[in-house]
Amino acid sequence: MQFQTIKEINDGLVSKKFSVEELIKDTFALINENKVLNCFISLNEENALARAKKIKVSKDSHLLSGVPIAQKDLFCTKGIKTTCGSKMLENFYPPYSSKVEEALDAAGSICIGKTNMDEFAMGSSNETSFFGNVHNPWKKGFVPGGSSGGAACSVAAGLVPAATGTDTGGSIRQPAALCGLTGIKPTYGRISRWGMIAFASSLDQAGPICRTAEDCSILLDAMTGYDSRDTTSLNLDPTNTYTDLKKPYENLRIGIVNEFNVDALSKESQTLFNESLKVFESLGASIHKISLPNINQSVPTYYVIAPAECSSNLSRYDGVKFGHRSLEAEDLESLYINSRSEGFGDEVKRRILIGTYVLSAGYYDAYYKKAQQVRRLIKNDFEEAFKEVDLIVSPTSPSEAFEFGTKGTQDPTELYLEDLFTISSNLAGLPALSMPHGFVNGLPVGIQLIGNYLEESMILNFANRFQQRTDFHNAKPTFEGF
Amino acid sequence: MDDQTVRTICYLSRLRLDDEKSKKILSDLDTIIGMIDSLSATNTENISPLYNPLEETARKFNDKIKSDNNKELFLENAPESDENFFLVPKVVD
Repeated sequence: MQFQTIKEINDGLVSKKFSVEELIKDTFALINENKVLNCFISLNEENALARAKKIKVSKDSHLLSGVPIAQKDLFCTKGIKTTCGSKMLENFYPPYSSKVEEALDAAGSICIGKTNMDEFAMGSSNETSFFGNVHNPWKKGFVPGGSSGGAACSVAAGLVPAATGTDTGGSIRQPAALCGLTGIKPTYGRISRWGMIAFASSLDQAGPICRTAEDCSILLDAMTGYDSRDTTSLNLDPTNTYTDLKKPYENLRIGIVNEFNVDALSKESQTLFNESLKVFESLGASIHKISLPNINQSVPTYYVIAPAECSSNLSRYDGVKFGHRSLEAEDLESLYINSRSEGFGDEVKRRILIGTYVLSAGYYDAYYKKAQQVRRLIKNDFEEAFKEVDLIVSPTSPSEAFEFGTKGTQDPTELYLEDLFTISSNLAGLPALSMPHGFVNGLPVGIQLIGNYLEESMILNFANRFQQRTDFHNAKPTFEGF
Repeated sequence: MDDQTVRTICYLSRLRLDDEKSKKILSDLDTIIGMIDSLSATNTENISPLYNPLEETARKFNDKIKSDNNKELFLENAPESDENFFLVPKVVD
């Protein structure tokens, strides 16, 4: 049952081609055969099999009923180890579940396990995980992207039809692109952050990673909705994107951003981008050049705001209430310092230090306040642009998947530029999707659609129509080198 | 970043950098600061900071007492505890 979509699994369960129990047993067999990928940190086999025995699926059941889902190891899952990819939480068993886990559980899906990720979601290649690198199923020794690298890998390898991810600067869209998948980060506030381990609270947003836009719409609708426990949760009903796939969104105006400088990408990437624009036109869309004058300040703006929020959020890890505790402590001060120094990896330390620096007396105005002012300019630019166009399109990442250890080792900002195209929608809180649109050097690459606030239906509708016209989302990885 | 600033930032963060790694991390920090320094080129006069993308202020809740007492549940995750408290090294001699 490898490589099935949510829709195909639902059809199989409703028509009784296979039972939920057979499906879940088969899923764990596939996962065990593909351990080399290292995409899971922990499995939930016993609970999943027990739950599978109880679920009966009929045509009236939720489309997710009985469907195996991989949860990013950043969502708290009651009684299931939740590490956030860090030694700091190596043995953390949350006393409660995240809203996302509650919602997917209520829809009848089955949590298969927790996926590998960059430590505390800080990374673009899944190389900062305490639990080791994750391989891209398209080529051994190549990154799956990050931070939701394990999530993307598990879906791309066909082990599960869908996975949850989180996106602070591109962590759903970039791994989806590098693994040949579809992933969407909705509008900030659409999905409750209750029980999501915080990295940068004004940027973090959860979302689905699947093979198709249709599957993403099914999962997104189940994940969204108001939750009073998250004070930034939007007081809106869950999205209705799956039903809206049938809506006629005619004559969409699509903007390409002058400042994104697509001409600087490789020839192959440029060709793919231009070919996709032709498909968009064949779907009735018109292409318009637009300007986002401050967009090139997105990366420096992000690398002030995200570390600042991270330094504050991660101050809770002190070795006292939960998480790693140093055995070397002599007094309370050394307990804090030793526990944190032993528990966090280098990238997390770098970001805490930068965050502390930009928030410290004497630097706050020059960096933190300044970045939040530039953030408003970036948001204003988008608001102006969406007066002229309905969607904005760009490549998802500057390049295809790369080999372990080849980016960011000498200069960390080299890896930060992986998120060049994705970061701005987090700063502005806009919904954005990545979908596969071709191959460069035999590896998949993605194209990004950014929509106006709350326009998830329009984005998924257009992506679904693109996938009805193209075949990139059906490509299966070649498992080169495995 | 000079040595004194680094020491202050490390202390405020309650982090210690190992000797072998500190040179690399400090050079990385300088590179990152070089990158974020480019923000100064943008004119932000009369622009108010945007702290939340949707500018929704945090909602308030009624201050109701809840009967939940999950003390035992929370203490299960504590590295060291007795039946009522989180334990830490001695603070006062």
